[in-house]
Amino acid sequence: MKYGRVYVEDVKVGGELPPLVKGPIQQIQLTRYAGASGDFNPIHQDDEFAKAAGMGGVFAHGMLSMGFVAQAVTDWAGPGTVRKLGVRFVGLVRLKDVVTCRGRVLARSSRDDAHLVDLEVWAENQRGEKVVAGKATVALPSRA
Amino acid sequence: MPIQVNRGVVGKEYPPWPVTVERGRIKDFARALGDLNPFYLDDQVGAASEWGDVIAPPTFPVSFRDERADSAALLRDLGVDISRVLHGEQEFEIHRQLRPGETYLCRTKVLDIYEKAGKSGPMAFVVRETAITDKTGEVVATMRHVTVIRL
Repeated sequence: MKYGRVYVEDVKVGGELPPLVKGPIQQIQLTRYAGASGDFNPIHQDDEFAKAAGMGGVFAHGMLSMGFVAQAVTDWAGPGTVRKLGVRFVGLVRLKDVVTCRGRVLARSSRDDAHLVDLEVWAENQRGEKVVAGKATVALPSRA
Repeated sequence: MPIQVNRGVVGKEYPPWPVTVERGRIKDFARALGDLNPFYLDDQVGAASEWGDVIAPPTFPVSFRDERADSAALLRDLGVDISRVLHGEQEFEIHRQLRPGETYLCRTKVLDIYEKAGKSGPMAFVVRETAITDKTGEVVATMRHVTVIRL
């Protein structure tokens, strides 16, 4: 089931999210993301510019990878559940890279009517190198 | 010779700017991510949902930009060329879902600048926060951006 609905009672600390595999990254996706996000930094579009800037060539917007990580969370927890998502961009994503987004449950808490689950989230490339690392908090419904 | 960034930017508040959320922009953003969740893309699914309309992916507010308050404006203030810039960190806090057709006010301020030695030399980290408020002044979402400048 791709678009799940998870209840807080079903969540176990230490449990892992289903991995989400995105890519291979193509230039057209970076161009499309630039249009959709408004981030037209030529470093993501123009190989000559990126090389002249000392970056060795075009690389993906960090926000594209963060969007992938957000999708991994919402594919599991359901849309509209994310209360907080914070990441560090720890590695560059290049053209042709395959990005796998993962997550693990760190903690569960309930106060008043809110059932919150804290997650460790990250994304890695096809060599297993982390490109994004961070945390998320989702609010989940209860069966009660 | 490392470049200098203008530390006088710390504390600067950029002019607030309004954004009206357009459902077409939400859908373009979701498709650009390759996230085809029907709660973002299908008006009928949205209408039948608890929100009564499509909602946006969590990172959608990053598309809220204004040329007087965006990264280009920051770089002008810092005196830094765009080729030196990397995205270091990003955080979203989402209190309520954005609603298509509604207008929000965005306010960006520079919270901090600090320097650290990076893998490839000295770097400056510029921390900005953008608060997104609705018509009643309630904060519906907050973004925190950390921009890295290769000095």
